[in-house]
Amino acid sequence: MCDTCGCGNPDEFKIHDRDGHHDHKNAHDHQHDHDHDHGHHHTHDHDHGHDHHHGHSPSHSHDHAPKKVINLNMDILSENNRLAERNRGYFEGKSILAVNLVSSPGSGKTTILEKTIQALISSRKIFVIEGDQQTARDADRIEKSGAPAIQINTGSGCHLDAKMIHLALKKMEVDSQSILFIENVGNLVCPAMFDLGEQKRVVVISVTEGDDKPLKYPYMFQSSNLCIINKTDLLPYVDFSVDTAVNYAKQLNPDLEFIQMSAKTGEGMPEWLIWLNKL
Amino acid sequence: MHELSLALEVVDIAQREAGKQGVTAVSEILIEVGDLSGVEADAFQSALELVVKDSVLEKALVNLQRTPGTGKCRSCNVGFQMKTRVDTCPNCRCFPSEITGGDEFRIVSLTID
Repeated sequence: MCDTCGCGNPDEFKIHDRDGHHDHKNAHDHQHDHDHDHGHHHTHDHDHGHDHHHGHSPSHSHDHAPKKVINLNMDILSENNRLAERNRGYFEGKSILAVNLVSSPGSGKTTILEKTIQALISSRKIFVIEGDQQTARDADRIEKSGAPAIQINTGSGCHLDAKMIHLALKKMEVDSQSILFIENVGNLVCPAMFDLGEQKRVVVISVTEGDDKPLKYPYMFQSSNLCIINKTDLLPYVDFSVDTAVNYAKQLNPDLEFIQMSAKTGEGMPEWLIWLNKL
Repeated sequence: MHELSLALEVVDIAQREAGKQGVTAVSEILIEVGDLSGVEADAFQSALELVVKDSVLEKALVNLQRTPGTGKCRSCNVGFQMKTRVDTCPNCRCFPSEITGGDEFRIVSLTID
């Protein structure tokens, strides 16, 4: 279990296809052949160099062969980043606009998508990858709006990663020239670190949350291109200051764009559709 | 951040590199965790302890090297230590600052016997 956000093993995820089948994936098959033979002792020969690349190594016993240090200097996210670049190349090759939607749970991502699909479906092909820990409810909602959707259940995992998107793309043929919305798991922490290969990242906050959210979750706001402030129809009833939220977010990311929206009333939808169409 | 998936990535990388070397065990792994990397070092270490079982890292000494965060003010160019990504410049109180160090999260080296 992840001590920070409470999520569990992220590799136990499954992808629902629209025929009701789903695949379980477990990407971490470890080798189980271990060499437990530690019985060989070598006399330490002081004629050869004892090569210490790092000064941090704790107590060495000198009754074994010299250690071999493999200098890797490898970014731990390099495999995710490599797969994300593959996804990005696939999207570019097919002129697919991939947009990753991130937010805390309940900010209105799915409703925004439903309204967006209804507004655009006559002029653009739209596909959706839905990420949730459990259930295919969101994919069902999206399909009712008229766009093909595939649901990834991350199980106890708390974010989508590039490999899940890669596998979902094998299940769902995404047409050229279309828009692919990827609705990430509701979580403002973990998804920030995982590039999916998207062209644009959109962070959604709602006015029922605190206006200091950007300061509390700086990584997500620093890594996004657009911030949608949703549920503005509720502004008269809450203590949320749009100016405060925008100022905090701009301090973190001066290039961040903003759209105030009420997916319920339609406020801000025209600006959002213009933003999408100019990409 | 998601320390458990990162710990699993570390195990995968170590498995792969050990395989290239033809060994089945790593005796020590040195990992650099920057204070501004978004990785909670303690949570990551706990996660790694959970996932090394039956891997080449099962008996490895895990050495986490913390790198302090450093930044440079975009206005007055003063360099300073950063505890968080939202620290303001101690000289002119400007914000945001450019991160110049401490956002690393990488495997520095593996030691095999």
